[in-house]
Amino acid sequence: MRDLPSKEANLFREILKCYELKQYKRGFKGADQILKKFPEHGETLAMKGLFYNHLEKKELAFEFVKKGIRHDMKSHICWHVFGLLYRSDKNYEEAAKCYAHALKYDKENIQILRDLSLLQIQMRNLEGYVDTRHILLELRPQNRQYWVAVAIGYQLLGKPELGVKVLTTYEETLKDLPSTPDYEHSELLLYHNTLLEEAGDFQVALDHLDTIEKQVCDRKAIKEKRAKYFLALGRLTEAEAAYRELLSLNPDNMGYFEGLGKSLGLGSDCQTDEDEVKILEMFKQLQKEYPRSNAAKRLPLRYATGEAFVKVTDEYIRSMLRKGVPSLFVNIKTLYSDSAKQAAVEKLVLGYLIALDKSRGFDHSGAVVEPPTALLWTLYFLAQHFDLKRETEQALEYINRAIEHTPTLVELYMAKGRILKHAGDHVAAMAALNEARELDLQDRFINTKCTKYMLRADNMADAEKTTILFTRADIPNPLNDLVDMQTQWFSLEAGESNVRQGQIGRALKRFHQIDKHFNDYTEDQFDFHTYCLRKMTLRAYVSMVRLEDQLRSHPYYVRAAQDAVQCYVRLFDKPDGSESEEMEGMTEAEKKKFKSKQRKAELKAQQEAEEKKKKAAATAAETAKKAGGNAAAAAAAVKGDEDPEGTKYTKCEDPLGEALKFLQPLQQLADTRIETHLMAFEIYVRKNKLLLALKALLKSIKIDANHATLHEQLVRFTLAIQKSSSAKTLKPSVKAVIDKHWSELYGTHGQDLTAFNAGFIEKTKDQGSVAHVISAAMSVYLIDPSKSLAKAEELLFSVEDEKRFGRTRTLENVILVQKTLKGFKSARQQEWKAKAGVWFPNAVAFK
Amino acid sequence: MTPPAIDMSSTTTATTTEDKPKNVGFRVGLGDITPNNLGQLKRLNTVLFPVVYAPGFYKDVLEVGEFAKIIYFNDVCVGAVCCRKEPAAGSATEQNLYIATLGVLAPYRRLGLGSEMLKHILEQANLPVVAGQPKIVKLYLHVQSNNEEALEFYKKHGFEVTEKCENYYPQFEVSDAFKLEKIVN
Ligand SMILES: CC(C)(COP(=O)(O)OP(=O)(O)OC[C@H]1O[C@@H](n2cnc3c(N)ncnc32)[C@H](O)[C@@H]1OP(=O)(O)O)[C@@H](O)C(=O)NCCC(=O)NCCS
Repeated sequence: MRDLPSKEANLFREILKCYELKQYKRGFKGADQILKKFPEHGETLAMKGLFYNHLEKKELAFEFVKKGIRHDMKSHICWHVFGLLYRSDKNYEEAAKCYAHALKYDKENIQILRDLSLLQIQMRNLEGYVDTRHILLELRPQNRQYWVAVAIGYQLLGKPELGVKVLTTYEETLKDLPSTPDYEHSELLLYHNTLLEEAGDFQVALDHLDTIEKQVCDRKAIKEKRAKYFLALGRLTEAEAAYRELLSLNPDNMGYFEGLGKSLGLGSDCQTDEDEVKILEMFKQLQKEYPRSNAAKRLPLRYATGEAFVKVTDEYIRSMLRKGVPSLFVNIKTLYSDSAKQAAVEKLVLGYLIALDKSRGFDHSGAVVEPPTALLWTLYFLAQHFDLKRETEQALEYINRAIEHTPTLVELYMAKGRILKHAGDHVAAMAALNEARELDLQDRFINTKCTKYMLRADNMADAEKTTILFTRADIPNPLNDLVDMQTQWFSLEAGESNVRQGQIGRALKRFHQIDKHFNDYTEDQFDFHTYCLRKMTLRAYVSMVRLEDQLRSHPYYVRAAQDAVQCYVRLFDKPDGSESEEMEGMTEAEKKKFKSKQRKAELKAQQEAEEKKKKAAATAAETAKKAGGNAAAAAAAVKGDEDPEGTKYTKCEDPLGEALKFLQPLQQLADTRIETHLMAFEIYVRKNKLLLALKALLKSIKIDANHATLHEQLVRFTLAIQKSSSAKTLKPSVKAVIDKHWSELYGTHGQDLTAFNAGFIEKTKDQGSVAHVISAAMSVYLIDPSKSLAKAEELLFSVEDEKRFGRTRTLENVILVQKTLKGFKSARQQEWKAKAGVWFPNAVAFK
Repeated sequence: MTPPAIDMSSTTTATTTEDKPKNVGFRVGLGDITPNNLGQLKRLNTVLFPVVYAPGFYKDVLEVGEFAKIIYFNDVCVGAVCCRKEPAAGSATEQNLYIATLGVLAPYRRLGLGSEMLKHILEQANLPVVAGQPKIVKLYLHVQSNNEEALEFYKKHGFEVTEKCENYYPQFEVSDAFKLEKIVN
């Protein structure tokens, strides 16, 4: 610290201590004391700012820190403090700049270097991280953490071999190795081995295992790695022995069985009949060896085919039905990707049912009387099986029989709900789930499922009432607990329900909530960068960092982003229209009536909410009083939501820009999913960014040139170009690029969209795909909305054709056709509804 | 919640002979009735008994402790018993136990489950009482006069018909009932 007499200098040192010890109030007082005598002392001003920040006064914090810097531009303390301030504000870019500045004035400041390196790893500036970590290592070569950090940096940069070098050098400096097992050292060695594995030389990695074995605590890791390396090196006899040993430790680990199979040269995707016999024999032996292992019983079903499959499956399913394993169907249905297996299972279980009905056994031998639950679980299995095949009537028949047999079993009502949901009756499905819930009120799983079904039925009020049965009760608004607990499924389902009801603002609010959760996850890493290095949990740390990099490819984010993009696109298309799906295609008078009904419902909901708020306020005040304290905090907690409707989002200036923000992570992380690029097209074509739209189309074509929606987008792309060129806004340079790629998009077709679409119809006519028919119809309509309605309708109605579409005409597809007709304002909607109602008698959409 | 299991396989397989089919063993356990699984009891009573029970009935059930139980078969809830204590006429030191409902879902009958529940109730009724508390001296119940199944069941367990109550169930076609009793302690 600069230019302070010794008394104040001591005091200044003390306030630095206070900061480290988190004694912010004391530090603040100390700073004031110095400033009384030296009001312009820059570093003290900066520290005062920092204390302000921790006392929740952010504006004052920035003011003072900046003042400090003005008075002392060359102080590393001032710049460091500025960086800390930005960091706590989550502005990592600026923070890193400040640290770099600070280091100019104190090149070897360990604390600042460490803080900088943390930002670099957090922002994945890996080169920067390695550089900074090298400096730190040179300054503190005696410290293990600094060696390890450099190795990690190299590993993340994709240079594990350099990481190995660093660790080897470090290990050579160690004089005496710990004599007793030392967890941290053990982890370091295993990490070293993982780097060798990543570098790809399994022989070296295997040899290394031998040298470290004695010092490693995680025995299982050693054994697993050794088995894996033997296998990779083709040393099959040793691999076999290694996997057999692992199985003796855990005979339910699927991976061990797989490893054993591979080391016997079995279990590959294209197995011969001979292989099949061998692998089934192997499992027979293992079943004898490990009679309690479920994996040993289940895995043969994967490898067996034909008669052998029937035999092992018969045995397996019988024993499970006898025991009563509710998850049996979920476990078996993974075999259904092979339709022969599906048919075989169906035949077997239908056979059980007949035999049970007649002679209370799984067959007619009369040898065994099964417990009554065997019939129950058989019916349950069949209901799920036929539900999967979407044979609603059969499925309902079996599940109703099961319920009649044993009306107390929660699972049955859940299955019934699922069947009804698939049949399109969300209201009845919800009722079934609620029945299940009432049978067992302490079952959180069923409570959650029930809530979800309520949301699917757009019954928000009951959903909220139900879900809060399991949230914290001691907070003013229990629904907030869902946010605190990062309950994403709820936000998603509720948001999608909002969309269906035309409440775009509310929906967007929820999708943004999910986005925020993902930000928080990323944020939450920060502490682990130091923690894991300190604790030497290196393997777990690296896998966490890699996971974080992929985070937003998680299905929840993908779905939320997709939903949000759709909302913003809709806002762009109809800025004023909070039009719900139901309202599309209504006449003006109908719309008016519908809207006023909605408004009344909203008003009522608002009143109820007010009521609730008042009550909550009262209880909160009460608890605050009891706790003898902070009434202000309680009041703040109840004040609650200032914008429940989410108008902040519906009134946003640039909906497409907002949409892009949701899309960008997907472009990075979900580049191989066609949906990403289909969405990108929707945004760019509306922004009239034709080159970016072109890029999206090209990406989509690479992924799936035959995709139904892609075709419609190609048609719209041409229309957009035509519009732009007739408005004389199409730049020649842009046109040149598009022309260059024309044939990639449209093949040999020129500008003639009608011919292009006709080609598409011809090409896809034997595919039996409803989605393609819809895309073709949309295209026909778009190309000439005034004249081609009849043709478009005719195309859509071709879905009636039993021969072509009997198998692909799912409920979802039929609803899509209906929506498309609605979009055309077609006069044939009723006609379609009537037909659909025959195909799907349960579906409310056609009632 | 997994109820305590009684393994019935030994008792059922003990009777097996060469030509008789072999019964597969099963697990039976009694469980408490709680506010959380009251829904199951209601569901059972709806399908087992023609009488509709008032909310007060279910409130009382939660208070009688061991005298109301649910029975599980292979972890599935398939039956229940509910009793209530009644003061014995003219005595402060004795009381009667009225079995209001005892039933097992049809597919699970003749497997000893009804007996299992009744055995539990008898055991509880025979427990020595805390000094000053009235002790149970009699179990009794009503059965619709045409309910052969139940009559057989109770007789087998030493109950005796003591009275025919005419028009006991006025709402039903068969409105007469038998009163059955068993003296304990
Ligand atoms: C009465 C009831 C509870 C018996 O339950 P259960 O579990 O089948 O009874 P158990 O298996 O323990 O039977 C014990 C014995 O009772 C006798 N019994 C039970 N049901 C019988 C029947 N239908 N016919 C003849 N005897 C019968 C038998 O002696 C039997 O022993 P066994 O099977 O070794 O021959 C059952 O039938 C039931 O729930 N009925 C409907 C509800 C009802 O009416 N309850 C009574 C009013 S409170």
